[in-house]
Amino acid sequence: MWEIINGKKHFTGGKEAYEAAARTAAHCPFFAEDCEEECVTDDVRSCYDCRFRRWTSESFICMKGAES
Amino acid sequence: MNLFVCIDDTDNLDSIGTGALLENMMQEAALQGLGRSGFIVRYQLFIHEDIPYTSHNSSMCCTVETNDRDAFTAFCADYLQSNAAEGSDPGLCVLTDDGALDYTPLVAFGKRAQTEVVTKSDAYAAANAFGNDVRLSEHGGTGGGVIGALAGAALRAGKEEGKIKGKLQPLQNKADWTMADFSAAYGVERFADEDGKEIAEDVTIRYLLPTKLMFQSGKVTAILVQKDRIWMPKPKVKKNKG
Repeated sequence: MWEIINGKKHFTGGKEAYEAAARTAAHCPFFAEDCEEECVTDDVRSCYDCRFRRWTSESFICMKGAES
Repeated sequence: MNLFVCIDDTDNLDSIGTGALLENMMQEAALQGLGRSGFIVRYQLFIHEDIPYTSHNSSMCCTVETNDRDAFTAFCADYLQSNAAEGSDPGLCVLTDDGALDYTPLVAFGKRAQTEVVTKSDAYAAANAFGNDVRLSEHGGTGGGVIGALAGAALRAGKEEGKIKGKLQPLQNKADWTMADFSAAYGVERFADEDGKEIAEDVTIRYLLPTKLMFQSGKVTAILVQKDRIWMPKPKVKKNKG
């Protein structure tokens, strides 16, 4: 689900791959839920709701990507 | 005097969010007797690789009633200077809330900030053209937060749609509500479906789960969904683990 572009870890699923984002976050050691108003899913853990995701026009970048 | 207060770009990856910082700032202002604030509205701004932001490009705006605009504004400036996160680029906008003002040019700027890349120069040009009723200031880093701060205040002044910060929780052991009773108990001014279309007919509301309120058409709006012919505020609930 990831592609490294210019050293940044891009999620390839776009903004609506809810199951994949939840699966990916399930075992991520860096996951930290963002504040309530920035959460977009009902999942208990999802990359889409992680404070270390940085939205892009098409998807998001994992800001912990370089460390994982 | 009534004001719109908006801040942006105050956080980093490890700090509290901008909404929480605005809440804290307004609580401190209230304790010091400088102003009383209302609910906070979140505005989504343009997501683009050329715009620096932490994880979401959004700004937070609330209304304030104060007797001393200068003292209140100075307090906000000092608070941001002292409490914004390291490495952030905080901006503050304080805008007069007056029904007699025509916010059209500022709203146009706010809408641009939601759909295209705009610059600090664009923000200052829009603010300067509006005159003394808007004050824009930078409080660290590049000060780029003035863009989102002005955009958020403008969108709020223009009664544009945004999300109200926080969840509304059921507070009473009562399942079914008339719309009038629900409005009186929870401060809701309008009911709409998920497409934003107003629900005008009087329906019974079953309220059991937390929900998010929206700011639509200048009003605090509850979004109702229908399930098995029962209307309920759209639930905002995290699933259980696993």
